[in-house]
Amino acid sequence: MMYKKIIGILLLSLTFFTFGEMAFAHGERAQQAGLRMRTLNWWDIEVTPKKVTVNEVITIKGKFSPSVWWPKHMANPSERLAYLNIGVPGPVFVRIDSRVNGVPMIRSTHFELGKTYDFEIKLKARTPGRYHMHPVLSVHDTGPIIGSGQWVEITGDQKNFENKVTTLTGEVIDLETQGMKEIATWHLFWVAVGLAWMFYWFRKLPVLMPRFKEVERLGPLHANDMISMKDMVVGVVFFGGILIAIAASYVWTQNQYPVTTPLQTGEVEVAPLPGQGDVVQIKMLDARYRLPGRSFKVDLEVTNNGDSPIRLGEFLTANIRFVNRDVMGDVQPIDEQDLIAKEGLVVDDNLIQPGEMRKITLRAEDALWETMRLTSLVYDPDSRFAAMLFFFDGEGKRYHIEVGGQMMPTFS
Amino acid sequence: MSTEYLPGEVHDDELDPNEIRYVEGAVRNSAEQLAAYKNIDLATLPLLFLLFGGISVFLFALTVGDWDFWMDWRDRRWWPLVTPFSLILLPSVLGTFMWLKFRLPMGATFATMSFLAASWASRYANFHDFAGFPLNFVSPSTWVGLGVVLDATLLISRSFYFTGFVGAFLFGLLTYTINWPIFAPFRIPIEYNGTMVTVADLMGYMYIRTAIPEYVRIIEESTLRTFGEAVTPLTAVFAGFVTILNYYLWCWVGHKISVSRWMNRII
Ligand SMILES: [Cu+2]
Repeated sequence: MMYKKIIGILLLSLTFFTFGEMAFAHGERAQQAGLRMRTLNWWDIEVTPKKVTVNEVITIKGKFSPSVWWPKHMANPSERLAYLNIGVPGPVFVRIDSRVNGVPMIRSTHFELGKTYDFEIKLKARTPGRYHMHPVLSVHDTGPIIGSGQWVEITGDQKNFENKVTTLTGEVIDLETQGMKEIATWHLFWVAVGLAWMFYWFRKLPVLMPRFKEVERLGPLHANDMISMKDMVVGVVFFGGILIAIAASYVWTQNQYPVTTPLQTGEVEVAPLPGQGDVVQIKMLDARYRLPGRSFKVDLEVTNNGDSPIRLGEFLTANIRFVNRDVMGDVQPIDEQDLIAKEGLVVDDNLIQPGEMRKITLRAEDALWETMRLTSLVYDPDSRFAAMLFFFDGEGKRYHIEVGGQMMPTFS
Repeated sequence: MSTEYLPGEVHDDELDPNEIRYVEGAVRNSAEQLAAYKNIDLATLPLLFLLFGGISVFLFALTVGDWDFWMDWRDRRWWPLVTPFSLILLPSVLGTFMWLKFRLPMGATFATMSFLAASWASRYANFHDFAGFPLNFVSPSTWVGLGVVLDATLLISRSFYFTGFVGAFLFGLLTYTINWPIFAPFRIPIEYNGTMVTVADLMGYMYIRTAIPEYVRIIEESTLRTFGEAVTPLTAVFAGFVTILNYYLWCWVGHKISVSRWMNRII
């Protein structure tokens, strides 16, 4: 009974401590509503192709912009390091390339608030399965901030996966098995040494009880008499032999791998995309969330400094797209989990002529407010919001501009 | 010390009648007693092996964690310092206990071997099989050879003071060196997308860890310090000294446990 219990506890302790942080639960709805709205705006996320076999490459790309309404109490990517990551369950893909505005993102970097960045990640399929994949930006001291997800499928057999790279010393190595020979060799060698030492002391059973009694009988002052000359010789041989073996293994390794470098780290710098000028300017006048109707209403003053009339086509917040059908037409969801409200955005007086400054009212309404748990914004200690607005001019050119500020709830 | 003392060797013709006096109950004669003692060995050792393996892997995960889980965290500055700091605990306590109670210099070897076995089980089951990382990227490091050195020092010197000064020092000092044959294949430089990386860095980039972004790695960064290239030996010596002090601390704990009343009631 005791045996079983102890083994049970042991097995439990072995498994329990590793995966708390590794299992990437779909954080789509987990974080506080206000924070999801005011951290990162992700849009134009595209995954191609969506179905691959092992060893084939998929590309995920899009845009993001850190919110200028980023909560002050949370570390933001302009002051702390940020790392472009991918939300998938473990290494089902290997990341072969990731770039922001063309700059490789092997290392961490900083991003300016309110600026826009292009990202592109290339992944090579490794483990067959169907996965919901998100772009992720990890910000130091804040954590992962995820973009909207898409389903991808990998077919084939992981046994066929290979991951070959060429080193600076000119060898081609497979990262799946690199160093495995050395790992096996040296672990086995040291285990053999350890077993030999233990075997020497336990070469003839029983050991524990007789020695325990002998120590008791001799007392602490004379118990050392139990150590024989042969024991001493064995001790010296092991002591010296191990030091020689460590030195020899070191020399052998230096011979085998004459060129090595320390682990590499450091930051990279990346410049944001150039802005779109002041073609569209906005001023938020009032924002109200009406709980019973699941309706978010914003009054805006919009100025059109361009030479073509503009209309508001989309309201994006917390990865949910509220689409104005009059402007965007019939936008189809990418898959069953695409967060899109096809007719979620209604705008009054939605045509701003060149040179005109006009007050417009937008209403973003959909059950997604509820299902994505954004209504809890009303109960946040800091009921502020942020969203990305997309305007379109007569030629179909798109302008994005962020809106945000204080939000008032309406309970009736 | 004229004749060799073989632990546990009891011949029927030279049985000490005093020994039998302690035996009660079902065990009546020497052959039965011998068999009972053998069973104690056979039952205790595997159980302790599992127990200490589980405990040390648990403690190690709490204190060192990611530093030893991933090949791209085992740098030359922090890893050789934090790992022996955490890992010397059980070898010291168990080594002291086994010596005081049994005059057996094998506690440190036993502890490092059980740690290794439990580490392999955890890395294989959790990190490789369940989470899908290549085994080479998450393989454990080894301290078994250094555990034997610690035990052998105690055997030769028969002194905890000396064992701390020499054995524990070597334990910290050689942590990086004994593992270098395992690490070296992961320190070959590669040019990847215009960035210089090592094999380990590249694996850390390629094999996606969503919850462990690059910046959380605590590894050596370049500084203006004068010793530059001597990071490895200087860290090793420092680790050696830290391990000496740590050894004395846990050795003292081992003494306390060995003389404590509850422990004497158990055995
Ligand atoms: Cu998801």
